[in-house]
Parts: sequence; C-alpha cells; structure tokens
Amino acid sequence: MGKLSWKQIALILMVLGLCTLRFVFKNADAEDTQPDAKDITSVAQLNSEEYTVGFITGTAAMYAVEEELPEAHQKNYDDPVMGYLSVQERKIDAFSYDRKQMELAIRNGQEGVRILEENLGANTDIAAGLSPVSEIPNLEEQINRFIDELNEQGILDEMYDRWVMQGDEEMPEDVRAAENPELKLTVGTSGTVAPYSYYKDGELTGFDIEFSRRFASWLNADLEFKVYTYDAIVPAALTGDVDIICANLNVTEERLEAMSFSKPLYIQENAVMVLDTGTGTENQGFLASVRESFEKTFIREDRYQLFLKGIGMTMFITVLSILSGTAVGFLTYVGCRRGNPIANRFVGLTIWLVQGMPLVVLLMILYYIVFANAPIGGAWVAIIAFTLTFGATMYRMLEMGVNAVDNGQTEASLALGFSERETFFTVILPQAAEHFMPTYKGEVTALIKATAVVGYIAVQDLTKVGDIVRSRTYEAFFPLIAVAVIYFILAGILNAIVNRAVSSVNPKARKKEQILKGISCHD
Amino acid sequence: MIELQHLKKEYPNVTPLQDVNAVIREGDVISVIGPSGTGKSTLLRCINLLEKPTGGKIILDGEEITAPDCDVTRVRQKMGMVFQSFNLFGHLTIIENIMLAPVKLLHKSRQEAFERGMELLRMVGLAEKYLNYPDQLSGGQKQRVAIARTLAMDPEIILFDEPTSALDPTMVGEVQAVIKDLADTGKTMMIVTHEMKFARSVCNRVFYMDQGGIYEDGTPEQIFEHPQRERTRQFIFRLKTLELQVTGREFDFIGSTSEIEKYCYRNQISVLTAKRIVSVFEELVAQILLPELGDTPMQVIVEHSEEGAMPETTLTVDYTGKAVDPATSENQLAWKILRSQCKSVERTQEGEQQIIRAKLNPVA
Repeated sequence: MGKLSWKQIALILMVLGLCTLRFVFKNADAEDTQPDAKDITSVAQLNSEEYTVGFITGTAAMYAVEEELPEAHQKNYDDPVMGYLSVQERKIDAFSYDRKQMELAIRNGQEGVRILEENLGANTDIAAGLSPVSEIPNLEEQINRFIDELNEQGILDEMYDRWVMQGDEEMPEDVRAAENPELKLTVGTSGTVAPYSYYKDGELTGFDIEFSRRFASWLNADLEFKVYTYDAIVPAALTGDVDIICANLNVTEERLEAMSFSKPLYIQENAVMVLDTGTGTENQGFLASVRESFEKTFIREDRYQLFLKGIGMTMFITVLSILSGTAVGFLTYVGCRRGNPIANRFVGLTIWLVQGMPLVVLLMILYYIVFANAPIGGAWVAIIAFTLTFGATMYRMLEMGVNAVDNGQTEASLALGFSERETFFTVILPQAAEHFMPTYKGEVTALIKATAVVGYIAVQDLTKVGDIVRSRTYEAFFPLIAVAVIYFILAGILNAIVNRAVSSVNPKARKKEQILKGISCHD
Repeated sequence: MIELQHLKKEYPNVTPLQDVNAVIREGDVISVIGPSGTGKSTLLRCINLLEKPTGGKIILDGEEITAPDCDVTRVRQKMGMVFQSFNLFGHLTIIENIMLAPVKLLHKSRQEAFERGMELLRMVGLAEKYLNYPDQLSGGQKQRVAIARTLAMDPEIILFDEPTSALDPTMVGEVQAVIKDLADTGKTMMIVTHEMKFARSVCNRVFYMDQGGIYEDGTPEQIFEHPQRERTRQFIFRLKTLELQVTGREFDFIGSTSEIEKYCYRNQISVLTAKRIVSVFEELVAQILLPELGDTPMQVIVEHSEEGAMPETTLTVDYTGKAVDPATSENQLAWKILRSQCKSVERTQEGEQQIIRAKLNPVA
C-alpha cells in the first residue's frame, strides 16, 4: 500500500471521532447522579403516561403490555438486544420480554439493567409453528406425537433445564442425523435469541436447534435451517418456504389465525426489564473498552468467521448482481433502442415497477410469491432482485448517456457510410460511457449498501451477521461501527476495481503507442 | 451524375421541398442560396438520405437511391458531408477521426489510412495536431479536419451544409480557403451558404431556393448580376419591400404615410429618403392617379436596396384599369415635383394591368 488517500484518512478520523464521542457520553452518564431517574419497583407503576414500555412486535409480551399497561407509551422493537440497550441508555423506561432470555443477557454482560420480580400478564406457551403448506405428511399429528414421546421420556424438561436453567451451551452428541432420509425438514429460526436459537462458534445452536435435530432424526428427514428476521419468519412458513418454525415463537391469537402450532414445548414468563439505578456502569479506559468490544465481537467463539462468511455473501450477491445487471441492462437497451413499441412499452413498465417499489418489498415479492415454489435459495433470489434493479438503473443510465451525445455525431457517422449499428457501437456508445460512468460508479456503491436488506429473505450477509453478533455481545455500538467500516472498505475495493475497468476502456486515457498501434510513423 | 426528379419532403406541419428537379453534373460546384427556411439544408440532407424524401426520386449514377431496396450505407460512402457543427467524434484523436471510416468501411490497412490521413491533414494545414482531440481545436480547425475526414473516403461529391456559419468571423477565411482549393481540383460539390461573396467566387453554378424548390438555377453571373425572377432579385439585392393597398378615394392617407415612415425606421433608411418616398407617394398616388382612377384599387410597392454602389429606391404602382400617363396629368405641379425627385418614371402596360415605376433620386 502506498500513501493513504484523503478518503481513507477521513474514514479513520470519522471512526475515531465516533468512538471518542461515545466514550465521552458514556462517562458523562456514569458521573451524572441522575436525579430524575425513575425508580421503578412494580409492574403496575408503569401503567402511566410518564413511562414508555418496549416489546418485540408480535410476541406475547406485546399483548400483555397492551392489556395490562394501556396508559403507558409503547415502543416496538424487532431485536431484544436493542430493547435491552434502550433501557440501559434510558431511551425507554422498561422492556418486556421472556424472563429467561433477559436473565441470560444480564449473566452474559448486559449492564445497567435489572429485572422486576413480578411477571407481566399470564405465562405464554412456546411452540413450533407449522406451515399450512408443508409437504411433510400429517405434520401436525407427527410433531405432536413426537412431543408426547419426548415428554414421556422427560427429555423436554431435561433440555429446558440444560439450555435455559443451567445455561449449558453444549449440544448433546447423541442426536444423530438421519441416515437414509426419506423426507426433508426445513426449519425457520432466528439465530438471535439465546439460549433458544443462536450462533456459537459460527454454528446455530440452542434449545430450538436441538429440538429440530431430534425431530428430524425421529422423522428420518434431512434437516435444513433457514434464518429469518422475526418480520419475515411467519410469512416464510405461510408460503411453504419452511416446514416448521422453531424460534422461541410465542403462541398468540393473531398467529393462530394464520397458522397452527404444535403442542407447547415450554412455558415462558413475561418479565419486565428496567434501569438499574443502584449500580453505575463500571468505568473502563477507552482503549481497554475498545479492546474488549473487539475481542467480544470478532475473536470470541471465532466470530470473525461469521463476519468473513457475511462479507463473502455480501460480495457474492453484489458482484454477481452488478455483472448480470450491467449485462441485462445493456442487452435490453440495445434490443429496445430500435425495437417495436410494444416491447419498449413492456420494458418501460418493468423498469417502472422495479424502480417504483422499495427494494425490500421487491425482494420479498420475488422470494415469497414469484419464486415461492422454485428450488432456488435466498441468495439467488437476491441476485435476481438486484440484477433487476441494477439492470433498470443501467438501462436508464444508458438512455441518459446516449441522449447526452449530440445528434450530430450520429449524423456524421451515418454520412460517412456507417450503418446504424456500427454508429451506435463505434461512435455513440464510447461517448455515452463518458457521460454515465460517474453515475455508474455511484450506483455500484449504492448497490453494495442496498444488499443489506437480504436478511429479510434468510440470507446471511454482513448486516445480518452484525445482528447475530450483536444478539450475543449485548452491545450495539461496536458491531454496528464494525459493520459500517467493513461496508466502507468493501465499497472502496469495488470502486477501485470499477475505476480500473473504466480507465482501461476510456479512449482518452490511451497512450500514443495505443492510438498508433500497427502504424509506423516516418516523421 | 445526380438527378433529382420531383423531390418532395413533407413534415407534419411544413413542406420545405415541394417539387425539386435538377441535374448535377460531374465537376459542378453548386452554391445553394436563398432565404432561411426554404429547404436548402433539407435538400442537401435528402440527397444523402439523412432525411428521407417523402416523394420523388434521386438517381445517382443511374441508380435510384430512393428505392426501398437500395443499400443506403454504400451510397453514403460515395457522398461526403460537411456539417455546420463539424461533428468530429469527440472520443477519438484527429487522425483517428480521419482513419475510422477508411479502415472500417473501405478495409484499408491502418498504415495506409494513416498515411492518407496525414497527407490530407497536411493539405488542410493541421498535420501537427494529429494526436489532439477535437475539443483542443478551434472551430475553424475542427471544420478543416471535418473536411479532411470527408475527403479520406474519396467521395464522388461533397455536400457542405453551411460550413462556416457556426464559426467566429476570424475563422471563416481559413475554412473558405480550403473549400476553394478543393473546388479548383474539380471535385463535385454542393455548398449551402449565406456568404454571397464566397458563393460567387467558388462556384460555377447557383441554385436559388425559394417557394419549395429551386426557384432559379444559373451561372453566378446570371444569378448575382442579372437575376431573372422577382424573388431572386429581391434576395440578391437585399431588397427591403413594403406593400400598401390604396382602396380608393377614401383611403387612409395619413395611415399610409406613417406606414412608410415606420418601414424606413425599421430598415434603417435615412429620414431624408423617407421624406422623399412620402413625397413621391403623395404626388404620384394621391395627386395624380387618384383623381383619375376614382375607386380603382391600387397596390403600391416600395423597394429599397443598399447593395450596390448607390442606394436604390423604387416606388411601383400596380393596378388594373385605364391607362394614366403622369406626364400628361392635369396636375402639372404635382408632375413637376415628382420629376424633380425621380431619376425616371416608367410606365408599362400588359393588357388591363398597368404598372408605373418611379425610381427615386438618391439622397445626397
């Protein structure tokens, strides 16, 4: 590497600046005597407009808050760790969730919070969600029979004791994969809710994972896990993308309307997490805290491997989408340039549709509706979606670039005797490229960032990996900054590649020898 | 070499070429002149089919190139075109601009095309710029390169579409010199231009275009010195004309004189000339003709030209009715005043149509 460019310096300064700001604010918080901190002692106390209570959308806790604490302000979350951090940062006053998971979080290092003794609302059944369109015969009957058997043998209780009560993280060895599988069981899970479904040493593990393995073994089925956000997990089962959901899924009225559940696996208590005013957060030195965060985020349990896989996935989707998007956009443009009006209308409509809807929506439509029954994975659906959007952008860029070339160029070329086609490729296109290349580079950077939504369709890209790691380290700051920095670096690498490719085809960047190739000058 | 038969070009709301007929012979250097919007450029662009004629035929060396099965690209290779806005290919160097078509279309070797290109660049005086890009050249230099690029294809005819009208006045000369040299080599050329002196010095034939076609076709002497037809004359002598209608005894005399004054003001004709025109109009029309003709409508045309050595002003009265000779008018005072202000007063008669033309003395 040569000298650092100003961009790289700016990036480093920005990260350092953010870290410093964070450190300053954290310390300021700790020194503050917090005279206005509300000391919360009972659940009932929260039923007032003064308080804001958070919960995960769609969980039993949400219904409990709505019922028991109607006066309190409500706030929806998608990720429990964000809820814990919000309580710690005093963005909300309380967060209602599964008691066991919150206890585990505190045990694993979540600071500045405590859990109220009292529960909120009634206990909730946790069960496996069943896809109404699963191809496994008699799914509901089979899974219930299996659960009965486990209960008879006391295995479920033993599992619960081991994973949830003891916090033992070892997956038992005796669960064997099916040897001559006759079926295939696809399980949707979240990977972000320890101790039920989470990543350790780069592998999915937890109560729900063990249960899924046992069930697959019992069914004599091949087992595949797909990881979703909670927003996407129920739709995945409804469309048959997965057979069952094992992800600490609460049985709620609303979900029962859409799908059926197995018999309960265990009972969950909804507890309430509040700010712990008693203990101030321990003050560490700046470097020490960064070092610790780094260790937790990357080194512990070899989490860097998860990051590497995420980076690989992000780059795989981005690069393939750029290549095929460029090709699709280009071919479509060349085909439509003088094509018949109906084909052009069709292309115009497609582009309008693709560009007119949010990427996430396009992605989900393709995944859950268009390719619902196609035997292709999420990554390929993502590539198709991004190829479409990048192709549409490419088409528009070409259109813009070609329109920016003076019509006189076409006339001069035609007047010399070039055909329409030769004119386009030898005269117009090289000049159009000069116009659209800056936009093209920008779009490449935009695309790599846009791929961050693929987590919605069970693809583990860099952003999703960041979420998974955050759910284990119970801190938001470091993993988020790390992900941001990695995106910057990836975008930088892609841009450098595109720049090189662009300058190698830029006619004005040629040297004299290239221009006069095959010519001997006498003068 | 090229024959145009009833060529027609129609657009949805305008028809620049109504019916064009002409024969262009080998070695002709034709200047195409005429007022704006009379289809000069359209004619040129129709000849090399950049615009598709909507009717008629173009025959090149016995082949009808307007036929639907004609290979247009091959025809265009035989016809060079130089544009008003140069249209050099911006992404290529000067020498590549010139080499591109010979290499790709005539399949010349790069070496051969390069040598011919350099020869042409030397001819237009730009050899040392061969590795520059078009945006590094002045307008005049660009146009000279464009001419060289056209010549590299060895066309049978070169069409120049207003080659100097986008240029800075200081650069017009260099481009005209190149075109003139080219004309002297006997190349067949057609040049649309507004530069009359240049047109006259370079060509051996002139097309004056007006009213949807070639209105007058002749040698430069004929067209520039003795134009036969009315509109050609008006154009060549830069005539500024005013038409007035005199409806009869009750016509608006004050209104007409103020029309004349306005016309003079608009065309920067001196106040003294304006007074003289008003005076001649008053004596001839109001004093002499009106009392004799009564309610016969008359058309009065004032023409003024400053093209020649002396400015020329004419007032023509055109009517249908009985002959009146101003010299024998009862109003001898009016006749005397009229005589004193005019070089000549001529009277012609074609059947019932009477024309009286008074040429005014120039104002010192």
